Order: sequence, then structure tokens, then C-alpha cells
Amino acid sequence: MDAQVRSVLRRVIQRIPNKNIENLLKKWNCLSADQLCALDYTRPKWMIVEQVTSFCEENRLNLKHITNLEMIYHIENPDKGVWHACQLTEAQDDAVGVDLTQFKEQFKAHLHGVVRHISIKIKKHEDEAIWIRIAWGDNFSKPNHLKPTYVVHHLHTSYVFISNLMAKHKIFLSISVATKHGSIKDGHLSTRSLTAMRELLLRRYQQVTYPGSLSGSLQAKSNVYPCIGKEHSEHEEMRYQMSCEAFGHGPTPKLETAVYRLETRYRGNGNHTLSDREEFFRGVVRFSSSSLLDSLRHCVASGMAEGPVTPLLSAITQRGRNYFVITDKGPGVSSQASAQRA
Amino acid sequence: MGKRDVQIFFLLFFWLGVFLFIMEGRGSAVNTPASRPLTRRSKSYGRSCVEAPSYFWQTPGHLTVLKVPTSRGAAKSQLITNKVDPEHIALLVKNEWKLSYVTPLHHFRHTQLKSYSRHLAAFIAAENQQGVAVEVGLEAGFKVTFTAVLGLAETDEDAETVFIQIQSKPAFAAAADAPKVVWRGWLTCVNGDPEYLRSLPSDFVSLPLFCTSGSESLTTLVKTWFERAFDCNFGSLALNSTTLNWLAALWTGCHPTCNIRHLKLAWSLPTQPPLDVSYTVNPQDAWELWNSIHPEESTDDKIDIKEVQSFINGLETHFFRHFKIYLSAGTLVKVSTALGSAHLDGKIKIGNSDYITTLLTLLTESALLKMPT
Repeated sequence: MDAQVRSVLRRVIQRIPNKNIENLLKKWNCLSADQLCALDYTRPKWMIVEQVTSFCEENRLNLKHITNLEMIYHIENPDKGVWHACQLTEAQDDAVGVDLTQFKEQFKAHLHGVVRHISIKIKKHEDEAIWIRIAWGDNFSKPNHLKPTYVVHHLHTSYVFISNLMAKHKIFLSISVATKHGSIKDGHLSTRSLTAMRELLLRRYQQVTYPGSLSGSLQAKSNVYPCIGKEHSEHEEMRYQMSCEAFGHGPTPKLETAVYRLETRYRGNGNHTLSDREEFFRGVVRFSSSSLLDSLRHCVASGMAEGPVTPLLSAITQRGRNYFVITDKGPGVSSQASAQRA
Repeated sequence: MGKRDVQIFFLLFFWLGVFLFIMEGRGSAVNTPASRPLTRRSKSYGRSCVEAPSYFWQTPGHLTVLKVPTSRGAAKSQLITNKVDPEHIALLVKNEWKLSYVTPLHHFRHTQLKSYSRHLAAFIAAENQQGVAVEVGLEAGFKVTFTAVLGLAETDEDAETVFIQIQSKPAFAAAADAPKVVWRGWLTCVNGDPEYLRSLPSDFVSLPLFCTSGSESLTTLVKTWFERAFDCNFGSLALNSTTLNWLAALWTGCHPTCNIRHLKLAWSLPTQPPLDVSYTVNPQDAWELWNSIHPEESTDDKIDIKEVQSFINGLETHFFRHFKIYLSAGTLVKVSTALGSAHLDGKIKIGNSDYITTLLTLLTESALLKMPT
């Protein structure tokens, strides 16, 4: 095992908390039962790394095995790193019928055709997702396994999720992935959590079904002051309904941020000369939270935001993106700016 | 009742009246003096005409009422390096500083800085030996330096700034190893309220703003030493949203002379989980908005608090028209531009030394207002 392979191995083991290492090594299935028993997970991390490295050397494992381990780690922990969503467009007629083998062949063929030194690994996961690991080299140097790009594609959808792709490699990847499509474009959605991204885009979370009655916590508050509660309950119901329409009811995908680039005319207080300006009042608004959609939903339900929910915010769930450029449609339009694709 | 008794009663009522007047002026709840540990001192407060009864504890100088200003002058750029040694300025501009206020220091002399350095170093070493937790581990000792930073003081009443630096001497250092700076702090007073400063007795020095950078344990040790040596009290200085609003407006007003690069405001909304909103405004556009509220060419050099509030309201309203979210339901937590940043928790960063006086004036004011009676 050369230095690079050892580095890759060390990096994988160091990232995992000790209690999870055992499971990963078992799944990997490259160490013997005796070796697995011999590992003591209560030791300090550097000791475990040393032990695992020596076992791998004993078993004469090579780069292929180690990259396999890394891939298993990423598939088991999809919420590490930063993921970006892309969408394939202009599907050709036979795009839907592509099966896994065809996709693999075409993808590899394309990439090998454009980049001389490259290492590609493709795995299919149970949930219909294809995971691709790419270590990029160039005309003169071997593939760099310390900075691989990960790509996840659900075959019969038009979505592609990418992590750790350098700008210079973007074009190569685009051509190879969009084999049966006209083009690939930026989905304007990026998060740390691949799970959240898939839930949002593949509509895997519970959306509109409004339960028809207030959730427990809101009701409890109104019991303290029953008269006030009665007055407010109608408004609270309405706000809650609006919040559920925009952001769903129940657990939401865990997005962390949403960014809006504002290029609209100034709409502040009435009597300033600024309101008559032609130029835009430029700025960037960034919302962040440990669970953005939950925060926004609570914002609407509690009255901190006025309903109905503005299309700027509901576009996060409706259009599945979290980066927007907001411009005025033109003179004479209503004061609500609209979300446009950049 | 004799004449003497009448005199005593009269004086008692006089001081009672003064005490209550101060309390009202400060707008704070009555701080029962009995709750403070009484420090029996033989020094008088300069009012030798009365033997003040022990339950009236007064900080010297609080006969004046400190008011919150509703207007102030615009931020003026100064080539501060004309007044202050550039090396000293470089020390201030580097770090993020945590703010505290400190009550006036008794018998503090700018001429004794070398002796203070030795005393503080000895104090830290002694505390170390006693086992007071200092995270630094294998350090053999500390070297403390007190420096006077001349030129930051603006008025005649301001005392000169004092900068303190603690360097560690690691146990196994080679001779060529430079000692590492582990803690920095400075005490300053810039444009402090002149009436208040003049009312202090002559043996008190007021340097109300204390900025620190370094480990909490060292900060606590330094504060303890100061409290024992100069009979003062420290407290944490959190900024309020009015100060942050002033900074946003004052810094924006500087844009023509010094590119502020952006005006970034950060709010925190109390949702579950909490939502952070940061609004970064293009500096030219922010300046145009400010200029429409307080025109640059206006003859009146004073900026009124209402103009500042109008500025912030304008930004909040523009935001509201897009997102329908009331930013006023949350708290403004941080303001930053290229000139510096200020956080509600009492943390600041100085970006550009040209406008350092404006920032320090605001902070000195906050420190003086926060001090307890």
C-alpha cells in the first residue's frame, strides 16, 4: 500500500466515531473475523488507525479496496460535505428506457474519452440511487484520490446530486452525465444534507395535508386566557393553515440556508426620494437555521410573518431550490417581486 | 433637640434627597446599598463636611446624571496615525475584543506602569502555584507589559489609554523562541462625558471601557488583580440595539470617504428552531438611503436618533415588502462593515483605524451608562 492509499484509509477512519467503525468494517468485508475481533474500539483513534492499516497491509489490500471502503462510508453517511443539485433537461426519446448497465457503460466511456487519467467507481444502492466516485487526474498526473467527486443519480428522474466538484471538471462531468439529455443545468439548491435534498426534490416528505385542527402547542396557550384564546383562535387557525400549505405538515427536509439576491427597486418607507429611483436597491438576504423550513413555518404560524406566504419563500418548497435572484418584472408591476430562474 | 442634632438631621435628609435624585436620573431600580459588600475605607470622598453614614455607599462622581444622547456628530475620519503610534494602532486593529466596563480606578498612575507590570506578573504566577486553573499548561512564567497608548484620548478629561499584553515563557523554549502573546487587553476612555469626568475626585482615574482578547481564565485573573489593586469593579458590557443602530448609520455615512464594502446586518428571530437573517446591502445603495434621510450637504452636523431609526426602518420595510417577515419581531444582533463589526454580546472588531474614534466614543458612552451606582 503506498502513501496515498494509506492517507485515504486514515482519513476515512478518522472521520468516523469509534462506535461506528465496527459496522463499517463489517460491511466492507475485507478483514477476517479474527482481525475484526482483535480491534479494540475503546483505544484512542490513532491506535485504531494504525491497527487497521497494518491489517490491510497483511491482507495485501490495494487502492480498489480502500476506495470501496470510502464509498461505503459516504453511502452510509450521506449528510457530510456540501451537495449541489443539478437537473437534466431536454430528454431525448430513449432517455427513460436507459438501464443501469447502459448508463454505466456510456458514462465511463465518455469520461475516459475526455480525461486521460481518471478513476471511476459506480455502485447501485438499494433505493434506486446510483453512486459514482470520480478521482480526477489530468494529462500528466495520476488521479488524486484524496479529493474525489461524488455523484448521485436516480436513474428515472432528471436529478443529479454532486459533491466536491471543482470548476475545471464541471464541463467533463456535464457531458458524461447528460448522455440522453440535451443539457444539464444548475438546480440552485445546495445543502449539507443529501437526504434533505432528495426529500425535497423527489417529493418524499409529507406536503399539504392540512390536519384540519390546531396542533397541540398552539391550543395549550389559548387555554390560559380563554377569552383571548377564542378571539385569536380563528386567526391562529388561518395562519397555521397557510404555514402548512407553504411548508408542509410534519417533519420537513432539513435545509439549512436560503439565499436571495435582491435586485429590485427600493420599497421602504413612503416619503423618500429613493422610492422614485430607477436604480435597484441591491442586497443579499441569507436565511439560516438548523432546520430552515421548520423555522419559516413557525414564523408564519406565530404571526412573525404575514400571510399569505410570499411566493419568494414558498418557492423553496414549490420549486425545490434555495438560491434565488429576485428582480422586478418591469415598471408598473405590483409591489410583489417574483422569483425567477437566474 | 440641640442645634447639632438639627444639623445632622438636615444633612441626612439632604443626602437622602441627593441619593434619590441620582436614582431617578439613572432610571434604574433602587439598588439597595445594603446589598453591596461594604468596603470600609479610610479615604474620604472629598466631602469632609459630613461623616457619611455607613449605609449610604456612593461611587464618587455620581452627583452628575448621565444622559443617553439623542443626537451626535457624524463620524469624522482622522488619520489617527498622526496622533497615535502606528505600531500601537496595529495592536488594536487585529483582534476580536470582548467588552467590559470598569468603575473608576483609585490611585492609578500612568507613571507606574512598569511596577504594575511586575506586580501583575507576580500575581499570576502566585495564582498559578495555588492551583487556580490556567489552561496554559507547561508555561514556566508570564511576562506582562503595560504600555501607554498616547493619542487616543480626545478631550482634556479623557485619560490616556493603557494597553496590557501577557506573553508566555514556555518551559522548554530555546533561546531564540519568541515569547508567544497569550492575552491582550486595553483600558480606554474616548470622549467620555466631561461633566462626569470633572466630578471625579482627583485620585480617581476613569478608563471605563475594557477590551480583552485571550483565555477567560487569564481575563478573570487580570480583573481580580485590578479590583484588588485599584478598588474597582468590572462587569460585562453587552451592547444594545440602539448602539448597533447608531453604528450602522454612522458607518454608512462614511462611505463617500472610505469604502465600507458592504453594510451587513444580522437579526435573530425567536422561532423554533431560531432563524438567523442576514441582510447585506450594497454600500452605495445603503449610502443613498442614508443620504436621503440625512443629506450630506446639510448644514447641521448633528445626526438625530430619529434619522437613525428611520434608516433602519427603511431597511426593515424594504425587507418586509419582499418576505412579509417582521424583522422587528426579532433582535438586531450584529452590524458589520469594512470599518468594523459589533455584536450584541459585547464583541467588537476594529476594521479600519481611521474611524476608530467614533466607535470608541460610542463604546465609552455605553460603558459609562452601564456602570452601576
